[in-house]
Amino acid sequence: MTDTLPQPYTEAADAAVERLLETQSPQRRLSAPTFTVEVDGKQFTGREGQTILEICRDNGIDVPTLCYEPKLPGFGACRMCVVDVDGEENPPISCSRAAEPGMVVQTQTPRLREIRKTNLELIFSDHNAYCLPPCQNKCPSHIDIPGFLKANTEGNFAESARIFKRTIPFPSVLGRVCPAPCEEHCRRDEVEEAIAIRDSHRYAGDQVLKDQANGIKAPVPFEVQPKTGKRVAVIGSGPAGMSAAYYLLIAGHDVTVYERDPAPGGMLRYGIPQYRLPKVEILEAEYQSVTDLGGQMVVNSELGRDFTIDDLQNQGFDAVCVAIGCYETNKLGVPGEDADGVLDGLEYLRIATLGLPYPGHEGKRVVVIGGGFTSMDCTRTSVRQGAKEVTLVYRRDMKDMPAANEVHEALEEGARAIFQAAPTRVVADKNNKVTGVEFQRMAMGAPDASGRRRPEPVAGTEFIIDCDRVLLAIGQGPQLDWLSRGADGVTATKNRRLAADAVTFGTGRRGVFGTGDVRVGAATVVQATAEGRRSAYAIDAYLKGLDLDEIKTRQTLAEPQPEFLNIVPYTGELKEPRFRLKAMPAEVRNKSYIEYEIPYTQQEAMAESKRCLQCTCEAIGYCDLRRQGIEYGTTLKTLEPERTGFSFRSVNDNRFTGTNHDYIRDDSHAFILREPSRCIDCGRCANVCKEVVGAACYDFMRTGFDTLVTTPLDMSLNTTPCVSCGRCAETCPTGALMPKPRVLEKYEVDESRCILCGICVDACPYDALRCGPDFELSHENRADPQIDLLAISAMERDTEMTWIQHERDWASRAVSAGRQINPGRMLPMLPAGVSGNGKNGQSGNGHSGNGSHADHSH
Amino acid sequence: MKLLASPKGVPQILTGRFGKYDADGALGDAEKAGAWSAWKTSATSMSPGAVIRTISEAGLRGRGGAGFPAAEKWRAAAAADADRRYVVANGFEADPGAMVDRTLMENDPHAIVEGVAFAAFATGASHAYIAVRANLATALRRLTAAVRLAEEAGYIGSDALGAGIDIHIEVVALQGGMVVGEETVLLHAIENKRAQPDQRPPYPSRRGLWDRPTVVNNVATLASVPWIMANGAEAFAAVGDPKYPGTTLVQFAGAVKGAGIVEVPLGMSVRKLLDIATPGTKLKAVLVGGPAGGFLPPAELDTLYTPEALVAKGAMCGSGTVLAVGAETCLVEMATTLERFLSDEACGKTIPCRIGLRRLYEIGARATTGLAAPDDAKNLVDLGNDVRASALCGLEYCAPNPFLTGMRFFADEFDQHFSHGTCPAGVCESVRVAQPVTA
Repeated sequence: MTDTLPQPYTEAADAAVERLLETQSPQRRLSAPTFTVEVDGKQFTGREGQTILEICRDNGIDVPTLCYEPKLPGFGACRMCVVDVDGEENPPISCSRAAEPGMVVQTQTPRLREIRKTNLELIFSDHNAYCLPPCQNKCPSHIDIPGFLKANTEGNFAESARIFKRTIPFPSVLGRVCPAPCEEHCRRDEVEEAIAIRDSHRYAGDQVLKDQANGIKAPVPFEVQPKTGKRVAVIGSGPAGMSAAYYLLIAGHDVTVYERDPAPGGMLRYGIPQYRLPKVEILEAEYQSVTDLGGQMVVNSELGRDFTIDDLQNQGFDAVCVAIGCYETNKLGVPGEDADGVLDGLEYLRIATLGLPYPGHEGKRVVVIGGGFTSMDCTRTSVRQGAKEVTLVYRRDMKDMPAANEVHEALEEGARAIFQAAPTRVVADKNNKVTGVEFQRMAMGAPDASGRRRPEPVAGTEFIIDCDRVLLAIGQGPQLDWLSRGADGVTATKNRRLAADAVTFGTGRRGVFGTGDVRVGAATVVQATAEGRRSAYAIDAYLKGLDLDEIKTRQTLAEPQPEFLNIVPYTGELKEPRFRLKAMPAEVRNKSYIEYEIPYTQQEAMAESKRCLQCTCEAIGYCDLRRQGIEYGTTLKTLEPERTGFSFRSVNDNRFTGTNHDYIRDDSHAFILREPSRCIDCGRCANVCKEVVGAACYDFMRTGFDTLVTTPLDMSLNTTPCVSCGRCAETCPTGALMPKPRVLEKYEVDESRCILCGICVDACPYDALRCGPDFELSHENRADPQIDLLAISAMERDTEMTWIQHERDWASRAVSAGRQINPGRMLPMLPAGVSGNGKNGQSGNGHSGNGSHADHSH
Repeated sequence: MKLLASPKGVPQILTGRFGKYDADGALGDAEKAGAWSAWKTSATSMSPGAVIRTISEAGLRGRGGAGFPAAEKWRAAAAADADRRYVVANGFEADPGAMVDRTLMENDPHAIVEGVAFAAFATGASHAYIAVRANLATALRRLTAAVRLAEEAGYIGSDALGAGIDIHIEVVALQGGMVVGEETVLLHAIENKRAQPDQRPPYPSRRGLWDRPTVVNNVATLASVPWIMANGAEAFAAVGDPKYPGTTLVQFAGAVKGAGIVEVPLGMSVRKLLDIATPGTKLKAVLVGGPAGGFLPPAELDTLYTPEALVAKGAMCGSGTVLAVGAETCLVEMATTLERFLSDEACGKTIPCRIGLRRLYEIGARATTGLAAPDDAKNLVDLGNDVRASALCGLEYCAPNPFLTGMRFFADEFDQHFSHGTCPAGVCESVRVAQPVTA
């Protein structure tokens, strides 16, 4: 018992205590009076002292913000959380503005969106960073290249193939026939030479095929969905059709593929020679993955001849996907074209690719006209078929050839090539039999839409090449005569392509889709497979009964958009030259249909993949800036039709493009990686580090445009009072601060010394410690980590699918909150059960490990 | 800086004691000139509420630019429930070349200290700060001396005047960029925190220094207070504009014959104001309010020199500078230069200020080199308006002014730069054709 009695209660004492609490304690009184606020037309209850943003968040209204840290008072730097308040001229910043009784708040108005958009454009104009690596960016199918290369370095080739199959089902086929636009943009080129990306997935795909021959099934990229009962007819079994079939099968639909030829493959079988793509070992083996999933194949059945679109729909197919490719070779449009001996290159290849001798080809003098892959195949096959003299003629320069990287191989094999010459007439004898072709020299004029210089004829430079055969390979268009029979509503464009939307792939007729070359004109295999996959997602969404217009916007977002810029100079890397595939000697291979490239050994494949710089943004999928950029349409200018070019597009290319900063990456600290070029100066790290952790490592340095949140004098974090808690990396809305791998198995807490200050609870970025009702008892030795720190520390790169998943989760939350995410920044209906990169569920940059992460940083 | 003669019949409220006593000298001299007499009589005879009423009746408004009624601020701070209140005199005067406050602080420091004492007395603040830019050594010395002398004489300090009034005044020297002159930034700077602004509301009169109610007044506002207390509210209210009574100090610069500082009543037209300094014959524009002020064309010179009228024209009183711009000047080039200055002075907290001002400058720089992009003129206006729309502080709010007023009043000259790549004034060298000055 004490002898001091409690003081009698007085109102004054009570008021004094209240005031003390209010002025000295950061916590808000729970007893604070409540009032009503109207937000977006709905009435909500707020407590005195709450900010507008807090009320919105409490009630599930997502106000965008980049600088708000829930553990701290609003900062008001990013200017994203502006809201309209009735009766106020300028929109207040909701994170630092106290709500008042009766306030009428709007969180989404055109004016606010405009302000936020301007704001984001300004941020991006000084955001010297990238989302995707350039290779992934330039791949028409946006394969997760660093992802599968990483799996390769670990010798995990099945996983590598699985990552590949998420975007293209055929790693081995593409490993042989892809022109590899990715390699042209590889950043390793800055060090010495680009990674052999194509050869790497070829090796991984081949290992899978080897396993398949031994009875181990090829990996499936996603969990196969339960049967939906919907039936899809895919017309055409080329790369586009089979790719569409593959992803439709995974989505749970029944797919029947119709093929007019006796065997599936389309151009892969009848257009690409055996020596480049072995038909049995590779093509058929890889196509088996489609039949393994339950795909039905109907061969010898041609659209327009054996059946019509009407027939298919009458048979009960819920969707029809037309992927018949381009098989009509363009005409030269010069006199004498119909002479005997002028052959359609594709007709020639139909027989010759299979290694069968084309009648009367041996010993002939052959002229091949064109510069694409078909012309190259005609040339090299003609050599193999014993033609006496093979001359390739192309109207532009060698470097402008679509198949430029194959020319030297053809020359080695004994072909002859003439550039900058175009045919003017075919010379024939009186029996209308070809005796030669007259060409005219071309001069290179101004660049055209494709960026290549336009050839212009030079008068008086005509010359004749004597020959017995002319193979035409100057491009192809689709056969569209079936449109007139039982295909009402399906139309052609004025360029003689099937009219289908670039995103929904819908034609003029409901339930009929067009994809691949038939839609875009003759293109590469990789483009066709990308088309096929995207159309599969569109058809899947259609079959699920979604609005096509909505699909349009979702689909667009499903594709990783080309957004990145400035190449970080890689100067410190060790030089490790590329492992080139060896080829058989030219004099051997020009007589053989056997694949002429000798594949990697496993050591070579792993070593080559190890060269990858893994130059992707680790924060992708967790980046608030990217998310808001998408929502407010500031990064996706590439979405606009007129912008769909193949040129480099950058993050900081917008209305306000100007000078930007290029800071040096700091990885001196053991646990925290700093990439200041990605910093948007929101100040979250500085505030959290100072106010929550108490270390104060960062602050705003310098003034004006050059302001940067960094350490004093930009010194290493090692020389600051950093406690390595990782709180800054956790709060960073972009990839400017990231946790590095760290291994923690056990913390010892000396309870006898703990003063229960709670700082560890506040500072822990992973909520490993919590403040319970009896905090004294709630901390303990963690012999067994409750969260998988090891998995977090493994810091798996986030992959395309997982970040789509994250963004989709975010989008669906936003939609359920009734927010306007138009113009259509929503996400695709991908096959469910996407499981990260397949190793564990814990991919990502360690910002946090699972689906619940998304609430941490709004 | 030269002190120009005020218009006839205008009472010398601010400059009355200039030169009448040695600002480095003894307190007795200053008192002979009239200092502290109002304090000694009013503080013992009036209640704080009565002081606020007098100021309210006088209609004194802030001289810092916004023209907010001083008595309102005092009343709000006095009424707020708090254990402590503060008064801060803002003498930071951040605009480059502006010497108005500095002249006042150097020539009549006692008026400011006395005004601070009144404000503290009226609001019940026991602590007050006079914040001065650290490089104004003379002003700092004289203000510090004035505070010390007043304390020694028992006019301020503990139990001042023997009337139980506790007022402790501290002169603080602050370093930092232009943005420190902004009131929330100034308070942070006094608190030794990062010099960055906060959103208002809450206004400092509710939550200021160390979260206590704080009155922040410009030194010129406070220097008017002793005169009001000595001469009565009616005398003050009779001077100048009915809504904005009293006088203010204006500094002339640029294309004028008589550069200098003058005390004028508020509510004169800019034209009459300018006549005091005898402008040059080829007057093209007047930049009113410092680097973040606005350009007024000759046709708009009948605008009254009051915060309200100027803001309606996109300009402001600001630091009290009036810069005459001659015909040989290119306004696009000048606005670009001003924008670069403002951009470099930004504290870097908010995105539109840190990046947006820089982009405004870059757009201007493109126009002055004849490289304007097709959308630049539109982007300039859009960006300028967006920066203003949700500005966190005064600097940011006013920073697009030079461009916005320029495009408003000198559309043709801007159009010449943005659409035709020519500079009518022949200043921008890189543009394709430099045309001779017309008229």
